[in-house]
Amino acid sequence: MSSTAETVPSDDQPSRALESLMGPLVPVMHQLTRLVVLLFMVTTLLFFMLRLAGDPALVLAGNDATPEQLEAIRAQYGLDKPLVIQYFNYMGNLVQGDFGKSLASGEPAMGKVLTMLPATLLIAGLAMAFSIIVAIPLGAWLGFKPERADRRSVSGIIFVFQGVPGFVTALIFIQVFAVNLRWLPSLGMEWGTIIDWAITESFSIPIPVPSKTWILPAASLSWFLMPSLTRVVAANTAEAMREDYIRTARAGGAPASTLLWRHALPNALLGAAALIGTQFAFLMGGAVITETIFAWPGIGWLLIESTQTLDFPVVQSLALCIATLVFSVNALTDLSFQFLDPRLRTKGN
Amino acid sequence: MVKPVVRIDDLRLEFLSQAGPFEALKGISLEIGEGEIVGVVGESGSGKSVTAMNLLQLLPRTKINVPTGTISVLDHDVRAMDEKQLQKIRGGEVAMIFQEPMTALNPVLRVKDQIDDVILRHKDVTPAEAEEMSLKLLADTKITDPRRVYESFPHELSGGMRQRVMIAMAFSCSPKLIVADEPTTALDVTVQAQILALLKERAKTTATSVLLITHDLAVVAQLCDRVYVMYKGEFVEQGVTKDVIGNPQHVYTRALLNSLPEGKAPKSRLATVAAAMIEGDTSNVIEEPIEQVTRVARTGDTLLQIKDAVVRYPKEYNLFGRPITFHTAVDHVSVEIKEGETLALVGESGCGKTSLANAVVGLNRLASGEIIYRDKNILDHEPEIRREIQIVFQDPQSSLDPRWPVWQIMTEPLTVGTSPSKAELREQAADLCEMVGLEASQIDRLPHEFSGGQRQRIAVGRALSVRPKLLVLDEPTSALDVSVQAQILNLLLDLQDEHGLTYLFISHDVAVVRHIADKVAVMYQSKVVEAGDSEQVLTAPTHEYTRTLMNAVPSLKRAFAA
Repeated sequence: MSSTAETVPSDDQPSRALESLMGPLVPVMHQLTRLVVLLFMVTTLLFFMLRLAGDPALVLAGNDATPEQLEAIRAQYGLDKPLVIQYFNYMGNLVQGDFGKSLASGEPAMGKVLTMLPATLLIAGLAMAFSIIVAIPLGAWLGFKPERADRRSVSGIIFVFQGVPGFVTALIFIQVFAVNLRWLPSLGMEWGTIIDWAITESFSIPIPVPSKTWILPAASLSWFLMPSLTRVVAANTAEAMREDYIRTARAGGAPASTLLWRHALPNALLGAAALIGTQFAFLMGGAVITETIFAWPGIGWLLIESTQTLDFPVVQSLALCIATLVFSVNALTDLSFQFLDPRLRTKGN
Repeated sequence: MVKPVVRIDDLRLEFLSQAGPFEALKGISLEIGEGEIVGVVGESGSGKSVTAMNLLQLLPRTKINVPTGTISVLDHDVRAMDEKQLQKIRGGEVAMIFQEPMTALNPVLRVKDQIDDVILRHKDVTPAEAEEMSLKLLADTKITDPRRVYESFPHELSGGMRQRVMIAMAFSCSPKLIVADEPTTALDVTVQAQILALLKERAKTTATSVLLITHDLAVVAQLCDRVYVMYKGEFVEQGVTKDVIGNPQHVYTRALLNSLPEGKAPKSRLATVAAAMIEGDTSNVIEEPIEQVTRVARTGDTLLQIKDAVVRYPKEYNLFGRPITFHTAVDHVSVEIKEGETLALVGESGCGKTSLANAVVGLNRLASGEIIYRDKNILDHEPEIRREIQIVFQDPQSSLDPRWPVWQIMTEPLTVGTSPSKAELREQAADLCEMVGLEASQIDRLPHEFSGGQRQRIAVGRALSVRPKLLVLDEPTSALDVSVQAQILNLLLDLQDEHGLTYLFISHDVAVVRHIADKVAVMYQSKVVEAGDSEQVLTAPTHEYTRTLMNAVPSLKRAFAA
């Protein structure tokens, strides 16, 4: 069936000329445009919402400041100007790469966030990797013959795990492995080499050294991610096993292992990739409870602290950082779909 | 007969479920000789696919019970074999071809992987040799660019191409037997004709036996040496194809043949499978003569005029989300329908017939051109005119909300803009049920409690609820069995008589169109290539494409003439 494709003349010739020039860069430009719009909206929304939450001058001056002291502080930080002017000042600074200084400590706000970021990325990455390594084979095994008694009991156990809140698992882990068995440390992390970065202001990003302290936070976090991922892989595998192409493969004499690993699982991973993306995006916001329990110096912990003290520049920097990370994870998830599913690859590429 | 390739003896098979066992095969016996093409024909639920699947023991053994029977395939007692032994036969000595080439190939694997896998599994060859063999096989199925197809993913190929790939895969290990389960049902007729010819040619040149499962008697007539007619898990009749179809002995075979529109007088009542037979009892069925009615030909003024209609779909978008290229689905089409008349749009998938139908009921916007209903542009008078034009969709399985009771489904159009009381609506629904041949007492049931034919009656009832003048029928019978198709065609013709309805009938089935339509417009590649009185267009087509289409349609008459 030949399709009749035609180009309808329209008035946006310049944009089409631009597109042909950019060629393969168009999707990238597309994503970047969306990111800029997203960041603009997040910043604007947060700016006004935070001002509704409280007066930064009060936070800065402390509870027993005199009105004169408050006035002085307002003047110093530009808080006496109308809100809209403050907003434009703030946005103007942002565009130049100035994210402001922490109200609490006077350090550069973005520097503070970037210092904490590696710790969060570290346990998020570890937890995710561990969860994927366990969940995919386990889910495939469960979904291959879901009606069998052994699979049904394992599914039941996983279901129960899914119902246990993350902080309960974390506390049990600490009790068993740190307190009773004394195998693993329960708190903190060690900082290693310090890399000095200079964007607009210089700040240092410490690199964590491999340590036993990673194990418990990462394990309890992945304990929280694994059950749902396993169940999605299992459900998708079971569904793929009922598809016509499995029947075709069986009729071609394919043994069970081929049916599962070559035919069903690659199709089942499409659904799993969507969940992995969502989970990872969620972790980018910081695993607040896990970080608190294990005194893990990540951005989740910083988020709590800076919100409680109304440290606006830090909260804003965190929001920008998290939004960018979530956006990148989503973009990567979309890319992984194209990798996993040939139907989504654009023709001609 | 020479030594049979397949021999099934008194096979009974039950499906086990929580509701108790369901007997799918009630003691069937079948034989296929060497190089023979044998058909099993029957309607949905007759057990024909179960027979095919069970030959290679592809049904889950834990979910079936086989009280009696033996199956011998190429001297193997397949019922006694374990999975390992069966895997050697499957794809090797016995290969299968399935119905839906869209889903029967794995979407994430290239054609090359799927064919090479089968060859490497059964033959002792290197991957390079397997590749060479695959390319040869693809070329044998008349694929002009085997290399491109070999490197493609299934979604990059058309339905006919995919089915060629399936055939290549089936023949890859020089099997002695091919089991083809509805191999052409999902394909367009012109493609079907090619695939059937190809299957026959490949089978005859390689002396391969074929077991062909189908619902289509014309396909059987065209292809099969012998045929088994299957009905409710039994073979009710068997023999040489010509005898069975030319001189059917069993009441069910006769009913099935009589329900086909081919060779019947246009607009006559078609026979349907008798009620007793639907219950599964054929012992005692008296064939009732079909009560014929005289159809009044009443052609009035022009009701609907489609002028120069163009429908376009966006194909690619630019950076700002504006469409830059378009696919033209309907390309400057003009047709008109007179009141009380049936105009059929005939064509194959993708020709634009459904896009045009959707434009008539307002589900698509025209890019240019106009649709005039009784001298008014439908765009200017939409609310009133929309009530007068209603649509019935192809698949009653998916076009009815599964959670709504019938009365609510049928009367939903009546609630647009007004809010009648529940009692009024239920009363209306009961009337509509009677109109379309359903029991008025069934209005509280849900769609899944009805058969396919009954569901299509519900869909017709819903369309009639606002007393429209024009019904757009988009392939209303193509998801149905032939005997059920006959019921729906009878119903549509009766309704037209009673209420003076006008039909725009969309179909790919030339026999159905010849039966129901006064006028025909043949669509090909978004354009109407030929239009006129149905009798004239379909008996003496002038356009090249119409002729190709007519020749491709499997026909009992032609099969016997040959």
